[in-house]
Amino acid sequence: MEKTGRSETVREMAGLDEGTPLFAQVAERLAADIADGGLAEGERVPSTNELAAFYRINPATAAKGINVLADEGLLDKRRGIGMFVAAGARAALLARRRAGFTDRYVEPLLTEATRLGIGSDELIALIKECSNEREGVAV
Amino acid sequence: MIKVARYQLVTPVMFLGLPWAALAAVFAVNAAQGGGGNFRAGLAVIFLLFFVTGVQRIGRWLPFGLALGATRRSFYAGTALLGMSMSLVSGLVIAGLQAIERATGGWGLSITFFRVPYLLDGPWYATWLTSFVGLSALFVYGMWYGILNRRWGMLGLLAFIAVQVLVALAVSFACSRAGAGPLRLRPAGVYPATLTALELTGVIAALTVVCLAGGHATIRRVTV
Amino acid sequence: MTPVISVTGLTRRYPGQVALDDVNLTIGTGTITGLLGRNGAGKTTLLRILAGQEFPSAGSVRVFGSPPAENEKVLRRLVLVREDQEYPDFGYPDFKVSRALRAASFCYQNWDAGLASSLLEDFGLRANKAIKSLSRGQRSALGITIGLAARAEVTLFDEPYTGLDAVARQVFYDRLLAEYADFPRTVVLSTHLIDEAAALFENVVLIDRGRVVLDAAADGLRGMVTTVSGPVLAVDSFTKGRPVWERRGLGSQVSVVIVGQISGEDRERARSLGLDLTPLSLQQLVVHTSGRQVGAGSLAGRTSA
Repeated sequence: MEKTGRSETVREMAGLDEGTPLFAQVAERLAADIADGGLAEGERVPSTNELAAFYRINPATAAKGINVLADEGLLDKRRGIGMFVAAGARAALLARRRAGFTDRYVEPLLTEATRLGIGSDELIALIKECSNEREGVAV
Repeated sequence: MIKVARYQLVTPVMFLGLPWAALAAVFAVNAAQGGGGNFRAGLAVIFLLFFVTGVQRIGRWLPFGLALGATRRSFYAGTALLGMSMSLVSGLVIAGLQAIERATGGWGLSITFFRVPYLLDGPWYATWLTSFVGLSALFVYGMWYGILNRRWGMLGLLAFIAVQVLVALAVSFACSRAGAGPLRLRPAGVYPATLTALELTGVIAALTVVCLAGGHATIRRVTV
Repeated sequence: MTPVISVTGLTRRYPGQVALDDVNLTIGTGTITGLLGRNGAGKTTLLRILAGQEFPSAGSVRVFGSPPAENEKVLRRLVLVREDQEYPDFGYPDFKVSRALRAASFCYQNWDAGLASSLLEDFGLRANKAIKSLSRGQRSALGITIGLAARAEVTLFDEPYTGLDAVARQVFYDRLLAEYADFPRTVVLSTHLIDEAAALFENVVLIDRGRVVLDAAADGLRGMVTTVSGPVLAVDSFTKGRPVWERRGLGSQVSVVIVGQISGEDRERARSLGLDLTPLSLQQLVVHTSGRQVGAGSLAGRTSA
């Protein structure tokens, strides 16, 4: 993704929600950015003050969010310069998302399908249909 | 304390200029009337304005002063010091103008604006001293009114005035008992026979000290 | 690190009412704290006592380790921006904005004149305007300008934006954050427009009828109280074992307000049960706890200080 494209998307998402602690949301968004490739490995991550100004939140909260990722080994601290995306961070995040994929997406899908009376065969057919359409569009 | 003085002087024109502008106006009226008589009350204008300024400098200027981090006591001291410095300078100016008035035979119009029989009638340094003490007294007296109003409102002011009336009556009574002759408070009338102008100045100076102490004590728990 | 502000057993009585009742709290150096509560809860009294403008009836107050009242050493490192600040503008028609700023510049050693001009510009306030002729909003803008440009180590704001519209308020929040980043200081901001400022706070203190009802990390309160709505049986099964603040029903639907963070798994469960989860915003939380000791008590035990 291009730099301008990424900042555009981040701005859209800047509306943080009420339901979870902000530091966790900041960490999530940074993680998503890394996983999507918007923040490359070895690239500098926005500073605490930059994040705070952007999201209009308290810098201590922003710092907490960054520390969550640093504690998980996804960010490296370079003294005096800032925080950088660690090597292997993207891979680690994608692996994590994969692990959660079933719980986050497949289970709810099945629940809803059951509620609507869609059997697993029909469900598989729907998935294939959708997939074909997408490939059609991409081409 | 210096901070407070600087704060008060942030509008120099109003603080320094107003009393003199008023005085000049009254003087001009007197001159226009062709002079030839006494216009003693004219000089009272500047004294009155020093009193009013004293009231205002506490009443109006204290809240913002406290907001900027001045303590009440330093606010009091700074303002009083400033007022008294102004009195010192103004007293000198009055003495100077009085000398010029004498030298020019009443500004060529036989006006005796800067000469007040008994009070401001002697050598220039006596005039300076008496004016200085008088203006200071009124300024500090005004400050005390300002403080009492802030602290206890109208009730406080009335109580203050009532106390002063009682004290004055008591003193007057005591004096007449001691055979010093009744004290009468008429502007151009009989003055206490036993007090010279200098001694009266001393009494006023003592009263000034009372006001300074009183004001300083009362300001300590003022809230704005 | 010793807290910069420390209040113990603070009580302030007036004839006929108790404005503050046995208040105990500490405020950490360099933090932004939100002071929340209804009008008349005691926020203003507390701030004025911290700034030495009011005197306690009982208890102790320490700012930088000493009582602030009549204490020049403390007061010159502290600034309070009040919504009802009196200026010497009566009888002094030339008391202009510029003069107020000039006076402030003598009194605060960190005063930044460039910042002051820039703030005036942001708020559209002209320096040569007489304070007497300022609107409510402009007076607030002046107060904010002085408060921020003073760069005082302890900066207290008492509902400083009366009369400012939403855009101007956002300017204030943005400038506050920027200043805090450039020149860290301890900030206490009292407000009843809570949701606007909620994200700025590191800690919040909630005062109700003179007592501290809640003193917690702001971020920890997010998602702490949730409204669960849906079919009665599903809701009851989901909310079993959790403290309930409120319960409202209509027919077969019911809405229950519960306390406690809801994990990702729980969310999934709620979704599968067809339940709707809506977190309470900080503002709603304050509304709920004001006047209800019960509510805040169950919160206090759950949030990290």
